[in-house]
Amino acid sequence: MELVLIFKLADEWFGLEVNDLQEIVESPELNYVPRSPDWILGAMNFHGNIVPVLDLAKYMGLADSAYGDRVVVLPIGQKALALGVSGIHRIVPLDPDLMLPCQQEEQKELHIRMLYNHDGTMVNMLDLPSLLSSLETL
Amino acid sequence: MRVEITYKFIMGFIIVVASIVILNLVVPMLGIAEVWQQLVSVGGAILVGLVLGSLFSKAFTSNIKIISAAAERISNGDLSQPIQLKDSKFPDETVDLAISLNKVNENLKELVGRVRDASVKVSDSAHGLSATSEEMTASSHELSNTVEQISRGAEVQAETVEKTSRLIKEMAVNTELVAASSIKVADAVDVTAQTAQGGGEKARHTTERMMQILQDVERSGEQVVNFGAQLGKIGKIVEVINGIAQKTNLLALNATIEAARAGEYGRGFAVVAEEIRKLADSTTASSEEITDLISHVQDEGQNVESSLRDNIKEMDEGRKAIDLTNKAFEEIIATAVNTQTKATSISELSQKQIEGANLMVNAIEEISQVVSDNAAATEEGSAATEEQSAAMSEMAHSAQELATYAETLAENVKRFRFENELPGA
Repeated sequence: MELVLIFKLADEWFGLEVNDLQEIVESPELNYVPRSPDWILGAMNFHGNIVPVLDLAKYMGLADSAYGDRVVVLPIGQKALALGVSGIHRIVPLDPDLMLPCQQEEQKELHIRMLYNHDGTMVNMLDLPSLLSSLETL
Repeated sequence: MRVEITYKFIMGFIIVVASIVILNLVVPMLGIAEVWQQLVSVGGAILVGLVLGSLFSKAFTSNIKIISAAAERISNGDLSQPIQLKDSKFPDETVDLAISLNKVNENLKELVGRVRDASVKVSDSAHGLSATSEEMTASSHELSNTVEQISRGAEVQAETVEKTSRLIKEMAVNTELVAASSIKVADAVDVTAQTAQGGGEKARHTTERMMQILQDVERSGEQVVNFGAQLGKIGKIVEVINGIAQKTNLLALNATIEAARAGEYGRGFAVVAEEIRKLADSTTASSEEITDLISHVQDEGQNVESSLRDNIKEMDEGRKAIDLTNKAFEEIIATAVNTQTKATSISELSQKQIEGANLMVNAIEEISQVVSDNAAATEEGSAATEEQSAAMSEMAHSAQELATYAETLAENVKRFRFENELPGA
């Protein structure tokens, strides 16, 4: 059964498959990264790896800054990255029947794959590959 | 040589007789006839008698005439000329008479002069007396008027004294009322002082009780503050618990992620992780509830504290008010004691005043007696003065009469004139 981490970005709920993430960290020590864009909060030490932390809400244009001292670390592989989010809700099992498609425009700008109806709350399912590729292009 | 008339007559008679005798002797010798001898001797004797008689009578009658003329002059008041008789070899009684008349004349002169002077003086004195007595009459009239005024004044004085006596009696009555009132005031003030002392006592009790309450309230306030501080400590502990719960939650999430990654082997672990997450969630929920409660209780405690502070302030003000009341009572007591002393002294003073007023009444009554006596005496004096005035008038009248008499006397004396004076001058 697929599990989904539901987290908060500004005033909206977002979801990410548990298989796509490494760990959830609370308030890491952030180091300044020289010549980084303003949506990079800094770099954290994750078990000896230097991982840049992305201000996701700012990057996606949802808010000026909505970092809430919670960082979602993606698996250390081809590219190390951590997402600074407003808050963590919980991990819930995913019911595929409740998945809804979303509009194309939203998908492009916000990197949203689909919408998930979690007990009446609309959760934007984050399109991680799209997000990562957009970062690659920069 | 002085010869009295008698002797002169005797001498004349003797000479006539002697001539008769001598003729009787001489004639027969002359040769005259005897028929004629008798006749010649008688005729010679008659001739001698006639010659002698005419000589004597001439001398005598001339003197008598002079004296009689002088007496006539004197009787007419002419005292200017003394009697001058012809010198005679043989002065007789006519000369004595002339000398006597001259003396009379002199004496009269002197007397009339004196009478004149006296009458002038009497007249002057009478005029003076009359004027003086008129003045005295006027004075006595004035005196009479004055005495009448005094009499009236004495009557007024008597009335005034009576009024004064009445007023002093009224004053004495009023003073008695004042004394009674001051005694009442003293009693009332005594009651007031006692009441004020009671009030002061109660105010002191109230202050003590309020102080106790205030201390209790302050203690309660401290307790509330302590309670708040302890609640704050609990809140901190709850925060710690909350942090632990959140970390536990995170650990559970990561455990879930790890279990998911482990696949089939991690399923049981995932269940445990879920249970742990639930526990952590419920812990968070509970700690949030506790935090809410704490903040609620802290708010309440702050309300209680502020209301306690308000209470303390109000009680402080109440205490001040009671202090003021207490002071006011003390002042009332002091004033009451003062007033009591004054009222007592007023009472004593008014008692003395009453005695003094009674003495005054007696004195005034004596004065009244004296004044009535005075009035009576003055009336008598007035009557006496009027009598005196009448007597003075009479005296003036008498003085005028005296003056008239003196003038009459002077008038009477005026017809006597001295040398070179015209009659009636």
